[in-house]
Amino acid sequence: MINIFRWWWGILLAFLLLGVVRVFLPLPFANEIIIFSIYTMGCSFLLGRVGFISFGQPAYLAVGAYGTAFYLFYFGHNPYVGILLGILAGLVVSAIVGAFFVRLRSDYFALVNLALAVIIFYLMEKVLAKITHGDNGLWFLANMSSTPVLDLGKPSHFFIFAFLVAMALWTFYKYLDDTIYGACCLATKINEDKLKFLGYSNFSIRWMAFIIANATTALAGSLYAVYLGFVSPAITHPARAADPVVVTILGGAGTLYGPIVGAIAYTGMKDLLSEFIANWELFIGLLLVFIMLAGEKGIWGTLEPILKKAVFRKNTWQT
Amino acid sequence: MPAHTELVGMNNEEILVVRGVNVAYGESKVLFDANLSVKPGQVVACVGRNGAGKTTLLKSIGGFLKPISGTITFNHADLVGRMPYDVARMGLKYIPQDKKVFSDLTVRENLELGSYATKDYNWDQVTRLFPRLKSLMDRKGGYLSGGERQMLMIGRAILGSPKVLLIDEPTEGLAPSIVEQLKNVFKELSKKTALVIVEQNLSLVCTISDKVYAVKEGRIVTEISDEESIRSNICEQYL
Repeated sequence: MINIFRWWWGILLAFLLLGVVRVFLPLPFANEIIIFSIYTMGCSFLLGRVGFISFGQPAYLAVGAYGTAFYLFYFGHNPYVGILLGILAGLVVSAIVGAFFVRLRSDYFALVNLALAVIIFYLMEKVLAKITHGDNGLWFLANMSSTPVLDLGKPSHFFIFAFLVAMALWTFYKYLDDTIYGACCLATKINEDKLKFLGYSNFSIRWMAFIIANATTALAGSLYAVYLGFVSPAITHPARAADPVVVTILGGAGTLYGPIVGAIAYTGMKDLLSEFIANWELFIGLLLVFIMLAGEKGIWGTLEPILKKAVFRKNTWQT
Repeated sequence: MPAHTELVGMNNEEILVVRGVNVAYGESKVLFDANLSVKPGQVVACVGRNGAGKTTLLKSIGGFLKPISGTITFNHADLVGRMPYDVARMGLKYIPQDKKVFSDLTVRENLELGSYATKDYNWDQVTRLFPRLKSLMDRKGGYLSGGERQMLMIGRAILGSPKVLLIDEPTEGLAPSIVEQLKNVFKELSKKTALVIVEQNLSLVCTISDKVYAVKEGRIVTEISDEESIRSNICEQYL
């Protein structure tokens, strides 16, 4: 029982704090943080655990969002089904493109994903405008039916749903970290040749990681779609390609709670600073430069060993 | 010369055979008509100066470099063109000279990686050879000393009971006491596993080896399998 608690306590504490934060914050802000954290989690996993930087996360966000939107606009009304279909779309697309993309070196990987984001943007804006309605977007809030227990059409209920989904997702990533597969992901990032010596195929490991990360991103896209009741190509605009990477680095790449911390910091600064400073992005940029020069660990990456040392009173080299 | 326990069930047929292997890096040929053979339980050493082609030879056997010509057979299976992880799964493992383990993983996690790939979770064989590792299980690889990393690399590689271990300069940069420990480990390992060791420590080589290949400028210039001939001063004639 104690061991189970030890495994869970971090997740419970993090989400308890998030729940407490919700009491003091506006609902839209809280929903934005949850969804953005999920969006960033995929990028953080790819960058921090597998060593792949991707500037194409908006592509998979759009796949998830449009997968959900097409269902809710043209075919059905149940938002839960829409979310499942959005995740499925993300799984299928990432499985197909990932088989090619993960064979590339890290710098080419970053660019090919960016290219995919541009392709999907133009597909949704121009090429498939007849079904996506181009820049006007797809509006389906009125199409969504009420769902029992938690009515996803209501922002307060949506928050509870997204909160539970996020908690389940973080549990999954924590579990993944503790498995052999999690060790393989880190090992392929550290030294892929060494992993070959042991009999592992780096391609299989990276492909699976790519699918997991981008299915997570597609989930975020689906949640955005259901929350807003609307999807437009702006969700995958190339200008937003760096957003998840920025938040990943801000929070701490590869850490479990870095995406949450980064999302709170980024969204908070965007909301707060923009009231006082017109060019709030300048402040974010300066903060990123500082983080890079200070050791690249990000906010949570820096705080985590300090907190662990304070709570457990262990030397950090033993962890 | 080391005395080997009679290997039950193993015949005298060669387990690893390299014939006429030529290897190039781009347009630059670095290995010329290499021939090498290893029997089960044999300790074979490759000696030579830096840049002679010893590591290239091991890497081509391990599948990391594709020969431009020649054959490499292991247990009657052709290795040329196979992926390194396939070669490792077949029971031929390569331990590189850089002594780098997965620095962000603990000793335990490093061993788990070795176990999962081979389905061999018997770590007693590792801790029996390297008792020091028992007390280091929760230490991250990046915080191990050079000797401890070498122990971990060898320990990880022997999981799954490989038939052949290719070990590249295992004693480079290590303290004499660790070198002595490794000498005993290699003698113990050779009872069940054939070893192909690239080494520049000639006294170690001559103590444990059944056969020595001298490599010079990309060519195997001599093969010494006579017990009396494997002595430091004879090895040096070819370097």
